[in-house]
Amino acid sequence: MIRFENVTKVYDQNVRPALDDVSLEIDRGEFAFLVGASGSGKSTFLRLVLKEDRATSGAVYVAGQNVAKISSWRVPRLRRGIGVVFQDFRLLPQKNVFANVAFAMQVIGKSRSVIRDTVPEVLKTVGLEGKEHRMPHELSGGEQQRVAIARAVVNRPGILLADEPTGNLDPTTSMGIMGVLDKINQNGTTVVMATHDDDIVNEMRKRVVELKNGVVIRDEAKALYTSMIPIVGQSRRLKDASGREDPPPSPEDQGLHPGEEQR
Amino acid sequence: MRLAFILGEIGSGLRRNLSMVVSVILVTFVSLTFVGAAGMLQLQINQMKGYWYDKVQVAIFLCSDGSTAAGCAGGPVTPEQQESIKTLLQSPAVAQYINDFQFESKDEAYKHFKDQFSNSPIVDSVTPDQLPASFRINMKDPQKYQIISETFSSQPGVETVIDQRQLLERLFSAMNAASLVAVSIAGVMIVCAILLIATTIRLSAFSRRRETGIMRLVGASKTVIQLPFILEGVIAAVIGAALASGTLWAVAHFFLGEYLSKQYPDTAFISPGQTLILAPALLILGGSLAGLSSLLTLRRYLRV
Repeated sequence: MIRFENVTKVYDQNVRPALDDVSLEIDRGEFAFLVGASGSGKSTFLRLVLKEDRATSGAVYVAGQNVAKISSWRVPRLRRGIGVVFQDFRLLPQKNVFANVAFAMQVIGKSRSVIRDTVPEVLKTVGLEGKEHRMPHELSGGEQQRVAIARAVVNRPGILLADEPTGNLDPTTSMGIMGVLDKINQNGTTVVMATHDDDIVNEMRKRVVELKNGVVIRDEAKALYTSMIPIVGQSRRLKDASGREDPPPSPEDQGLHPGEEQR
Repeated sequence: MRLAFILGEIGSGLRRNLSMVVSVILVTFVSLTFVGAAGMLQLQINQMKGYWYDKVQVAIFLCSDGSTAAGCAGGPVTPEQQESIKTLLQSPAVAQYINDFQFESKDEAYKHFKDQFSNSPIVDSVTPDQLPASFRINMKDPQKYQIISETFSSQPGVETVIDQRQLLERLFSAMNAASLVAVSIAGVMIVCAILLIATTIRLSAFSRRRETGIMRLVGASKTVIQLPFILEGVIAAVIGAALASGTLWAVAHFFLGEYLSKQYPDTAFISPGQTLILAPALLILGGSLAGLSSLLTLRRYLRV
């Protein structure tokens, strides 16, 4: 579904590339985590898939199409096949839940009756039944993110890109969001999720692609957030003690609390 | 659906940016009023030129019933007098100065008069009898008017010899200068209007960047994203142009029609209806300027 062939992206000639000779293939219907520290190239990866940026060299294929060869007036069609979710939700504050989701259908010219049928269905999928007429500010963070997911998938894209969708949410809410993403994935949508959230990665046991300084350093199926210490639960303790944006724990840190299991 | 959506977007954009939209309307209104004023002056000049202006320079008016000039003591011109004037015009002494001449009978004079004064109430009170017959002369050298004047003024049956063109030319040059001034002011105002539209569209694009960002992500086409902004500018400018057209009509109707034409009943003024031929030009000018400046602004400030 998404294929990178020796992709390099250089933003500034004087700095190391954001992505350096990355080759990667994500199949149709797969669920893949993209992990790595800030600046490791996760966002660049997502931007290249969306054709927000152009690869400096190499080729990016989305749904079998080389995105570099898509003319600018066909880019909207490419983007219709891709749903995107962000850390900051990006809902329209003056529209209610229904209108926020319907907006994604209106702007591509779907008819009123199709919108009336589809939106409640999608809201049900993300677990927001009965909240159609709430305004975004009346919802919790988790519910807002569910609206954003509903908006991303309402046009039934083949791919869902999620850029740290749980970055602003507490662990319990995050797991709820992951449940929604998993459900969408099981309906056949390819999901690529960039994240720092080790608990979620460890919990889900999906494919993990780890980037460091623009290079893929690990690509494992049914993997954990860090490959070195495969002990479930260690990382949560550390994170709870020191904040969310920490880099992955080093082996020494983990060694300080041997055997302390959280779950 | 998409149309309804675009219209809704335009409506919300206009509401959100109301003060800027009002200023765009006013600036285009004022600038296009100046453009229209220049156009009206040109129309007025054409109206005053009448039938003969572009064809001849000098008119020899013959005596008619009501003539009071000294040369008309003997009453209206007789066919013999008319014939002798014509012979004189054809004589080599005079013919060397003129290209050709035409005779305008009372009936023809009435017809031309009716055309020129069609907007004036005076046309109803004039009959062919009251209008003098005339010889209209096309000079080889308009400067030699004096020769014709001296030759014919004293002829029996001639009421007066007029160099119409010279009389009108002074007036026309003043009016041309006035329309040049109007066009220059309009030019400055149009620059203002273009910059103001660009700023308004920029603000509008900025205040709706969330919406447009989401529209891009879900794959809305460039047209759907940009059209509301462009139409916003165009609608504001077209409203301004409509106000300008209305103002020109009002000036023609109330100032020229009701006031000036009563003060100067012997001058042919344009009718209010004639100003309406300027309206489509103003609407197109306003709309296309706004569309163009919006488009260029969006290209810089709205990524699609």
